[in-house]
Amino acid sequence: MSATSGNHSGNPSESGVALAVTGLSVAYGNVVAVHDATFAVAEGDACAITGPNGNGKSSILMGVTGMVRRRGEVAIFGTPARNGDVKWAARHGLTLVPERRQLYPELSTADNIILGCYTWTRSIGKARRSDAYGRAVDLFPELKPHLKQLAGTLSGGQQQMVAIARGLAANPKILAVDEPCLGLAEAVAKRVYDVLAQIHAAGTTLIIVEEAPRRALTLCNRRVEVRNGMAGAA
Amino acid sequence: MNQFLTASARALAWSSAVASSRAARQVPRGGVPSVIVLVAGAIIVLNYGLLYTGSVFVLSACYAIVTAGMAVQIGFSQQIAFSQSVFFGVGAYGVAILNSHLHMSVLLSGVVMVVAAGLIALLLGSVVTRASGLALAVATLMLPLIAVGYVSGTDFLGGPVGSPLNGTLWPGGGSTTLVALGGGLIVVVLLAAVVFIASRILSSDIGLELFVLGVDERTAAALGVRTPRRKLELFVLGCVCAALGGVVYAGTQQFVPETVIDPTTELALLIMLFIGGRRSPIGAVIGALVIQYLQGASNWVSVNILIVEGVLLTVVLLVDPEGLSGIVQTGIAWLRGKSEPASAPADLAAAELAGAELAGAELAGAELAGAELAGAELAGADPPAAAVAPAASAGRESPDEIAGPDARDATLLEVRGVFKEYGGLSVLHDVTLALPGRGLFGLCGPNGAGKSTLLNVIGGSVAPSSGEVIFAGTDITRRPPHERFYQGISRTFQAVHLIKGRTVLDNVAVACLASHTASIVTRIGRSRLDAARAKATRTLADLGMAHLADREVSSLTLETQRMVELARALASSPRLLLLDEPASGLSEEQRQRLATLLVTLADRTCVLLVEHDLALVAQVSERIFVLSGGHLVFDGGPADFRSSPVVNSLLVGS
Amino acid sequence: MKFGNLLIAGITTGSIYAMFAVCVSVWYRVSNILNLAVGDFAMVGALGVDNLYRVKGLPLPVAIITTLVVVAVFAYLYDQVVLRIAQDGRRPIEGIVITFFFTFALSFFIDGVAKVLFGTDVHAAPTLWGGPALTLGSLNFERAGLLVLACAVIIGGAFWLYIRFTLGGKALEASGENSLGARIVGIDTRQYRRLIFIGTAVIAALFGIVESPITGFTYLSGATISLTGFLAAAYGGFRKPGRALVAGLFIGVLEAMLGGYVSAEYGDTVLYAILAAAILAWPRALGFESAVSG
Repeated sequence: MSATSGNHSGNPSESGVALAVTGLSVAYGNVVAVHDATFAVAEGDACAITGPNGNGKSSILMGVTGMVRRRGEVAIFGTPARNGDVKWAARHGLTLVPERRQLYPELSTADNIILGCYTWTRSIGKARRSDAYGRAVDLFPELKPHLKQLAGTLSGGQQQMVAIARGLAANPKILAVDEPCLGLAEAVAKRVYDVLAQIHAAGTTLIIVEEAPRRALTLCNRRVEVRNGMAGAA
Repeated sequence: MNQFLTASARALAWSSAVASSRAARQVPRGGVPSVIVLVAGAIIVLNYGLLYTGSVFVLSACYAIVTAGMAVQIGFSQQIAFSQSVFFGVGAYGVAILNSHLHMSVLLSGVVMVVAAGLIALLLGSVVTRASGLALAVATLMLPLIAVGYVSGTDFLGGPVGSPLNGTLWPGGGSTTLVALGGGLIVVVLLAAVVFIASRILSSDIGLELFVLGVDERTAAALGVRTPRRKLELFVLGCVCAALGGVVYAGTQQFVPETVIDPTTELALLIMLFIGGRRSPIGAVIGALVIQYLQGASNWVSVNILIVEGVLLTVVLLVDPEGLSGIVQTGIAWLRGKSEPASAPADLAAAELAGAELAGAELAGAELAGAELAGAELAGADPPAAAVAPAASAGRESPDEIAGPDARDATLLEVRGVFKEYGGLSVLHDVTLALPGRGLFGLCGPNGAGKSTLLNVIGGSVAPSSGEVIFAGTDITRRPPHERFYQGISRTFQAVHLIKGRTVLDNVAVACLASHTASIVTRIGRSRLDAARAKATRTLADLGMAHLADREVSSLTLETQRMVELARALASSPRLLLLDEPASGLSEEQRQRLATLLVTLADRTCVLLVEHDLALVAQVSERIFVLSGGHLVFDGGPADFRSSPVVNSLLVGS
Repeated sequence: MKFGNLLIAGITTGSIYAMFAVCVSVWYRVSNILNLAVGDFAMVGALGVDNLYRVKGLPLPVAIITTLVVVAVFAYLYDQVVLRIAQDGRRPIEGIVITFFFTFALSFFIDGVAKVLFGTDVHAAPTLWGGPALTLGSLNFERAGLLVLACAVIIGGAFWLYIRFTLGGKALEASGENSLGARIVGIDTRQYRRLIFIGTAVIAALFGIVESPITGFTYLSGATISLTGFLAAAYGGFRKPGRALVAGLFIGVLEAMLGGYVSAEYGDTVLYAILAAAILAWPRALGFESAVSG
């Protein structure tokens, strides 16, 4: 059921399997994007999913988080995931920061972030007072002056911060980030990775999809290489 | 009723057989549909003209004349205007008045009214078509409302009772049989003529222009389509067809009720169009027939016509948004056993984005506008290595070949003191730069620095708040995009703006059309689409992409789609090529291929490249401009660029 | 005082337009569909209550509740059957023009059913708050008009509070702005869409009930209301309910003024002419894209 594969890197602090993916297949119509992918991410790991563009990296994340229909087994902390249920992954501790951010352009920055709390509460009061929200906002001091500003008017780098903050507000145990530095200048990309490192250091398991592995590998201790829809742990 | 059904069924079957002998989804070059209409129509009129079913047919034919025009204007070119019922009324009422009050023959008054309608449409259209899209729709929506208010108030037009005619469409006298059948035949002939004209136009090179216009007006303008003129021509065409329909309606029905100007007539016409097939003239005819037939089909149906129409429209649209004619075409294609080429090994960059689409995503930050624009979509791959080959130099014999050996020194483009403000926000602040006739130049800057705006100012889709743009010595600051296209400025966009549903060849051919200055009417004659396609083929061959010519654009990888866009931009042999983030979404390998291609382009033309990938820009550009917050903060060579402290703090981060 | 009374009448009809405009606008934001059937739901509300109360003799509260429930159920079914296939199926139907025609067809269907059920005469729901007009100095306030205004304020206000101050409201907005982004945080966009569709149908029906004593409805009245709602929403740029509201009020007042000062007969005609001219003269200011500038 929840088989793991590949070699663990031997991180001494890992205690359990955060995410176990077995035989994952994602297809769009006739096109098979991911074919029988099997890998596992241990708790506390930072795992990079690398490979050329268009080979299935994003599809793996989309399938794992339930954004698209998949075949195969996905287990989060041992609990098997329900297929096609968009809310399931978010409610069980896996939150996605998607490619190209996908913010709500006409809502304020603060609103964008607080909607991350929707995964675990419906009360706006509880959300505002929660640790998760507080931490999310504190992690990005550069966003403080922009909290009331409409998210659509922010720069690309700022938007990426907001997207990550939104992910954090959901209080995830696993944060999956898809191409965090797409379209960002070098200085900004560095800042993004600094933040991701902070998040990882605080105990959150990270999964980062990156086309250019150079930056990701400075942070990550595990790597899954995806080519032609097939994943192999490296 | 049964005989009518059998006759219609036979006509339909025969026409399907004929239609299926041509390429399934192409509009035949005018002949086939109009002949079908002519022959089938004549048969029905002659056999049933005196019966109830015959008169229903003639009535539908009157409406079909209107809807065929609407298929060109609203369905195909997506210029949504609600003016048809008004002009239908103008035609009908005009004939009624001229005939009953001034004793003019129906035929003569018909001619007068059609000409008058054309003139009114010209006047009205030149005001109304300044608007686009939704504004156009809402503005023209007022027309039927205004007309109704006016007509009900006056007695001159018979008020709520309506206006009778003394004469008939068939000139001269004769028995009632002759008059009825003769009138019916005249209507059929006119309908066949309208269908013929509409089909010829749609299948010509101007048809391609109209299609692009309908999909995205901005892209069309950037490719040289004279959008204001085409919109006016379409408006007049729709109104003239409507007036013609009104004329024959009055002539055959002998009475013009007030309801012809009612907004419900407009709605009915739209329903006929959409049920039948919004993009095809013969679909429009089918729609008119179906609705009119339904209204007389049975007592229950005619009493509950609203319910029936509502359900029918919903069901038809759910099955195929192209309406009944779309369903018929799909059926024909299926019967012929023609299937889409088996999907090649997956293309995943495309499929992934498509998957996001299927999952209901909206890609924020990308300019995806409307359903027709092919962002990366499903299926098929193509061997990336073969797709992008650096172009062999020369081999082009186009007369608009760019300047000779002195081009390098002469200034081609000058941007002088350009400012642009939106509301209170300053997007461009005193930008000044100059480019020579050949070479590769980079434009960089953080997000929101104004790069795309500057490109838009040079390309013409945005007018600067102040400052000038001088191209080859001429001030083009206020020139519209299509004129700049003729001057030799070509551009690509950040998101891929290819036309979905058309082949690569057609997409490139849009830039090769020589039809921009011609009037729509000339395409009833000869079409120069083949010449445009030939030029497009040569361009593709130059870039090593000839094997892709017949592929449908949505089946290509993102890299290939960008190459097609590039081919399209190059097809017009531009003197200045503006590229907006062409490397976005491409892998390292693909970027290198792009870089090689760009360098060869720089030999022949001036290329301004907007890019985030600084390594790429520094690698290929001979000079780099950096914008920050709307200000030009750097202008120099790649070596200075790499070492400049301004640039480093802004973009690289030490 | 003529101006004052005209103004009041204008604000009353304007608030009706405004509410329908807001329904169209909010629904469009969430679903990208232009709902042209709002007026028809209003008509069903009015005629339904009239039928149940006057013809079938049910007590008024029962009639009202039954009608609203029937409308809600119908909207639910329409979403389940048609919208699901159109939007959630394998090949989602895109393009504002096509989806426009779906609600068009819906409007026809509802009108046809109404004709069968209620006949073709003019009817109206009974006045909910009877009595002569209230006067304040020389200003007359029709009670029915006040009721309409009150409903508009209450419903509009409640909706605004929901959107602004609750997480659910923000989630609703989010699902309209970015469907994928919404699903990432576990928002069920389909459910919200269904909710809003049913909501706008029921609110429209409610307004029809409240408003019909003023004007009277036939089975065809829905079209005019949908039209004005659509217009007001258009002037608000479709995606901004706030502006749609203001546009609706403005159109209502303008209509009243033209009717009172210019001509009772041609007042509407002049109104439409003015609206058309406004769009052509200042498309951007009104929120429309202008033609490609050069």
